[in-house]
Amino acid sequence: MNKTAKKISRRSVLKLLAGGSISAALGAPTIVFAQSRRYAKLADTFRCIGCKRCMSACQRWNGLEMDRYELITDRNTDLTANSWVVVNLRADSDNRTQRHYQHWACQHCERPACAGVCPVTAITKLPQGPVVINENKCIGCRYCYQACPFKIPRFDFEKRVTRKCHLCYNRTPLLNYMKPACVAACPVGALAFDYRHEIVKEAQRRVRRLKNPSYIMGLSEAGGTDMITILPAKPKNMGLVVAPKKVVNHTLDKIRISASGFAAASVIAGAMYQYSNTDQHRDKEKHEGED
Amino acid sequence: MKAKIDKGLRASLEAIEHSPRFYVWLSVLAAFILLAGYALVASLVLSMEILEFSLQIPWATMVSAYTWLVVVGSGLCIINALGGVFGMHRYEMMSKRIVFLSLTTIMFGLMFIMLHLGRPERVAIYNAISPNFRSAISWMGSLYNIYLVVVVVEFWLLIRSNLTEQAEQAEGWKRTILGLLALQDLSDSRLDGILEKLHLKRFLYHPRLHRILDDPRLPRVVASVAFITGVAALTMLGSVFAHAESRALWYGPYYPVYFLVSALFTGYAALLAATIITYRARGEEMPPELKTLMFEMAQVLALLLAVGFVLTSYRLVTGLFDPLRQGPTLFILKGPLSPSFWIFEVGLMSVVPGLLLVISARKKSVGGVLAGSLMVLVGAFVMRYLFVVGGQIYPNVFPRLSADLPIILPSYLPTIMEVFLIVGIFSGFLLAYTLGEKFLPLKEEGPEHA
Repeated sequence: MNKTAKKISRRSVLKLLAGGSISAALGAPTIVFAQSRRYAKLADTFRCIGCKRCMSACQRWNGLEMDRYELITDRNTDLTANSWVVVNLRADSDNRTQRHYQHWACQHCERPACAGVCPVTAITKLPQGPVVINENKCIGCRYCYQACPFKIPRFDFEKRVTRKCHLCYNRTPLLNYMKPACVAACPVGALAFDYRHEIVKEAQRRVRRLKNPSYIMGLSEAGGTDMITILPAKPKNMGLVVAPKKVVNHTLDKIRISASGFAAASVIAGAMYQYSNTDQHRDKEKHEGED
Repeated sequence: MKAKIDKGLRASLEAIEHSPRFYVWLSVLAAFILLAGYALVASLVLSMEILEFSLQIPWATMVSAYTWLVVVGSGLCIINALGGVFGMHRYEMMSKRIVFLSLTTIMFGLMFIMLHLGRPERVAIYNAISPNFRSAISWMGSLYNIYLVVVVVEFWLLIRSNLTEQAEQAEGWKRTILGLLALQDLSDSRLDGILEKLHLKRFLYHPRLHRILDDPRLPRVVASVAFITGVAALTMLGSVFAHAESRALWYGPYYPVYFLVSALFTGYAALLAATIITYRARGEEMPPELKTLMFEMAQVLALLLAVGFVLTSYRLVTGLFDPLRQGPTLFILKGPLSPSFWIFEVGLMSVVPGLLLVISARKKSVGGVLAGSLMVLVGAFVMRYLFVVGGQIYPNVFPRLSADLPIILPSYLPTIMEVFLIVGIFSGFLLAYTLGEKFLPLKEEGPEHA
């Protein structure tokens, strides 16, 4: 045996075990997904013609109750439990002459905040990329909506559960190289579906070829998402939700916040102990008076 | 048979004639509970949309009411620790009332949240099978359930001696039931044989179990466990909101702390109001030591209101200088909800009752203490509503149809069915307290009995 080889000490094993258990307790994502095998969707606002075939394809494939009026209007339509994908006509607030149709749906975050707060683990991030709600497990508390940095999940008042786009994980199941319904229906190539690194490359290539100023959303928003959108301006100027450029609802942050409550509880318990001492002083004084 | 019914009816009519106010009160509460039942059935038959319709504000009045009631209950749990854990004799005499109030408030508070959920029947199953330890709701639910069990045990330990006394005085089936509840010897009744057959007798009357139950240290241990679980559950309730990073008004380490302080002042206010109203409704004079405690509690409440006010001011002033929180802070101070904030949260919950309580405690006015406590409770309800609903109204996105038009804010007003359900659950809580007050030994005992 090589004498120079570093010995594995008991301390180092214990450190490793402690580190492993702490990282497990901190809730490192249960699924370790390989970056290169994860899929993503691309939405190109410059190419979108607003035909809304993506909306109808999504509704048809997922058996959603279609509101035909939404498919023919240019009025602002919001996501609902039965419209998981919407296309809206939006303008850059700095340059209102240029208007673009913009495809909006769940952004499928790399570290989804919704999955971190769901009390019954009904929301999971699949290794292939989609963030999926198990409707048979959902309790309908709507905490995912509160936690979502993009405010995507919608409550279904009939089914009494929360629903949202699942990137057609049940269609493909993304392994058969089939595209999600919305991507397959797009007639002009404004939507694309591939491995995430390929999609990012494609988005950068398209942006380079554009003469107009543009912004790629999804590279760093909420710590990175599996939906990449090419926008003519920053999300705030387009009237979209502005997500912070970091992982939202990080477990360490949650521990820090809750710890403040426990620290305050200790202070209150100390104050109560001091207050209870006044009682003992009174009793003592009373007894001394009686003596 | 007919004679029996006649006798029963006559007895009921006599009871109503004897105390008509009590029965009118019960009838009003029962009517509201029926309305809530109607709203619940309608929501099941038609759609849940008739209760809570907003997609942008999914947590509305039901969640505000839940927060208000459960925080009151947790505050009572903390106050109970003064007597039960820290051994303050003057608080110990109120233990039974405090524990019973804490139990009922949290039970009915949890009813609010269960009816707010889309699928409440799945909670128990999936929170047990697949809990998410990273979710504050999961911790909160589990801790409140544990707390409820511990508080039931604590209350039973507190009233066990009274149950034994009542069992000894009663006869027939009442004696059997009270004896069973107090775990007394039932050898003179038929139930004893049934327990024997079910192999329960060996467990229920095991000498070791009774040795533990009779140990004078046990109530303190149980009260300590209740205190720890109650405070932990309350902290996690504050964390439910404080963890939501995308809600600027809720996010941060401030709210778990403020929930603890607000639990204390709302708990004190509820205890003062419930005790004074109970004695007035019964037409009885308070024992002098209880009266002294009431004025002391009023002073403590005024102090806690001042602490709460300092915390609120700190939050708002620091919010004005924080670029992330400036928007929501100005929204509360100057936005559409600002009249409610200044009138209810500042005026009715902090400044006016604070002064009123100090003056009443000095002048020994029970009426003033009652008015101050009720003001705190009403103001705190509005404060919770502003916190829950206002936190969601402040927009994450600023949609406007045109640059020159104002921002469109999500709008919300409770539906009539929602109001029915909320009033019904509050009535259920009041009914439970009224019946508890009538049939359970909640009355304060002097320090020598406690």
